[in-house]
Amino acid sequence: MGNCLCKNTASHNGRNSSYNTRSSSMAMAKNSYDHPLDLTTQAEPPPQFKFPTLPHIDKLVLEILGVIGLLVDSEQEPPPAMLKLHNIADKEDGWIQVVSSMVNVIPMFNPLGASVITLMLDDCPLPSKDSVLRLSQVFQLSQDHKKTKISATQQRNICVVLGCIAERLAGPSSIAILSDATLDFLLSNLEEDVDPHVILFSLIALEKFAQTSENKITIKNRLLKKDPNPLLSLEKWANQTKYVQRQVGFSAQWCLDNLFLIEGRDYSHNTVDLTGINVMLNTKDVSEYLKISPNGLEARCDAYSFESVRCTFQVDEGVWYYETLIITSGVMQIGWATKDSTFLNHEGYGIGDDQFSLAFDGCRRLIWHNARSERVFNIPCWREGDILGCLLDLNKQEIIFSINGAPLKTCKQLFEKARSGFFAAASFMSFQQCLFNFGNVPFKYPPKDRTFQTFNDHATLNPEEKIVLPRHLFLKELRKFSVREDSCELCFDRKATVKLLPCDHRGFCQECSKQLIECPMCRAPIQEMSIDSNANST
Amino acid sequence: MAALPRRIIKETQRLMQEPVPGISAVPDETNARYFHVIVTGPEDSPFEGGLFKLELFLPEDYPMSAPKVRFITKIYHPNIDRLGRICLDILKDKWSPALQIRTVLLSIQALLSAPNPDDPLANDVAELWKINESEAIRNAKEWTRRYAMDN
Repeated sequence: MGNCLCKNTASHNGRNSSYNTRSSSMAMAKNSYDHPLDLTTQAEPPPQFKFPTLPHIDKLVLEILGVIGLLVDSEQEPPPAMLKLHNIADKEDGWIQVVSSMVNVIPMFNPLGASVITLMLDDCPLPSKDSVLRLSQVFQLSQDHKKTKISATQQRNICVVLGCIAERLAGPSSIAILSDATLDFLLSNLEEDVDPHVILFSLIALEKFAQTSENKITIKNRLLKKDPNPLLSLEKWANQTKYVQRQVGFSAQWCLDNLFLIEGRDYSHNTVDLTGINVMLNTKDVSEYLKISPNGLEARCDAYSFESVRCTFQVDEGVWYYETLIITSGVMQIGWATKDSTFLNHEGYGIGDDQFSLAFDGCRRLIWHNARSERVFNIPCWREGDILGCLLDLNKQEIIFSINGAPLKTCKQLFEKARSGFFAAASFMSFQQCLFNFGNVPFKYPPKDRTFQTFNDHATLNPEEKIVLPRHLFLKELRKFSVREDSCELCFDRKATVKLLPCDHRGFCQECSKQLIECPMCRAPIQEMSIDSNANST
Repeated sequence: MAALPRRIIKETQRLMQEPVPGISAVPDETNARYFHVIVTGPEDSPFEGGLFKLELFLPEDYPMSAPKVRFITKIYHPNIDRLGRICLDILKDKWSPALQIRTVLLSIQALLSAPNPDDPLANDVAELWKINESEAIRNAKEWTRRYAMDN
């Protein structure tokens, strides 16, 4: 998907293949137009102040917001409004107007709002540093923002835009963009009396700026100068039942463990209470950008890719049930998968997108299997606080999802290819979060029509396996590795024992050789593989 | 994260210890499969003096499949389109698992020295490159100045 297709001149204008190049965000992109979303969003008064832009651009932005939830096929043409927007944004003035429009008109409570901003920015041409600096002048960023007339929604949207730009322009440009005014704006938002949506996306923007190490140091120092460090009070929100605050808490804690470390503060994985937790999200079986809470039960994605994870416990027979607390109401695909299901996060494929997994997305109300979706009628979109129940009955070969105890239709299609080896699994679009209950606390809506087992009663994890290590610590461990002299030239994992014929090139292990069609060194077709008699036998 | 293959660890170590002249490739702190790359524009090319930022990602089945590489800095080049995608055979059908991050980046640097308008990705650029090379080169220099000499 989205390849260069050099050999295929028919699609060589770059446009039709470009739509999902950066894969990212295009998680939402699978399968044909569908019925409109029931986005019962809370009504918001129009902002008092609007950044200068043009009505027809506002209209295009809203049109894309409306249509994007219905776009579910990555092979599909992008909506015409997207192309128009791309062309407008190709000129510097146009780019600034497009961004201003998004800030003005994307509503706070649309579950796809924030991700659609990132999606549109990702599709627009990359701005120059000058355009971005001009943009921050338009926004007049500073810490006095609270006193100005722009609404919380606009502030939230500005933070989303800043985060997106920081990520795309990581490096010297990102340093230039993080001006004092921008930094003041973002840091002054980290106060408990600010709208929690604004706090949340300010934190995320800071995290994205910190991808450039010079920025990370700047931000960290500024945070340390504030006494007390605002992240320390925000991280206490991690267990809140108000779901926006809870996201703030999760993000603040993640930042403290991963990015803006404070001397003397113990890592969360050292202080968290794991008593009674026998199953977790598997930190060795997760795509690279998903964030997992220190207790291994809550996950969040702030990347623009479609991030996935499986749990640590496998089931092969019987009847099993787990629940998920929906913390954000956007696109997540939650359900069941075997190990054969692959996480192609950058291509926008996740759980439910191959033959070995089945998932429910309660935002678009679609049941996913093999990258095809089936619409579930007569239910509302899921909301923050809903409980998704996931029942797997291997005796009857059925999967039944339920929302707050009300079962959806029975699914059987997964069992055509998969009979055993199932894991709880989920995929997350950007800015989505949920909490898993594998049975360490009582279920809210246990199935009543059949007896079932829970993972937590049958699984065990040793203390080491329970540690959710921040990635910088994990990578530090990895770098200490070294490889043996006689290891395979391709994987460096196994011993080199194979010689390719007729070209006689050697230095490969059996596993790698099996995947080869031609010699990696000389491209000669491989007719035969022999055991390399020169390789030491030990 | 899925366990990181030794191959990637080994390549990363070597990139750090023996960097390639004119190329910097630094793994992301939170994702060892993602590299922040900066390539300097080769001498005697219209890209001379520019610093070009790229992203490089090693897919799950690397090295059996090629790294995904993309220019982030805008560049006027017949084999690189406006989204930064690169038309280079070793990134597609001519990939070999014996190639590495460093060899890929060297090939990209070479592509800057020797644009190939006969196998274009950016058609309008390639067109001009064929019809009026000196104007195309002027454009390339202008874009380099505008987008790749920020700092």
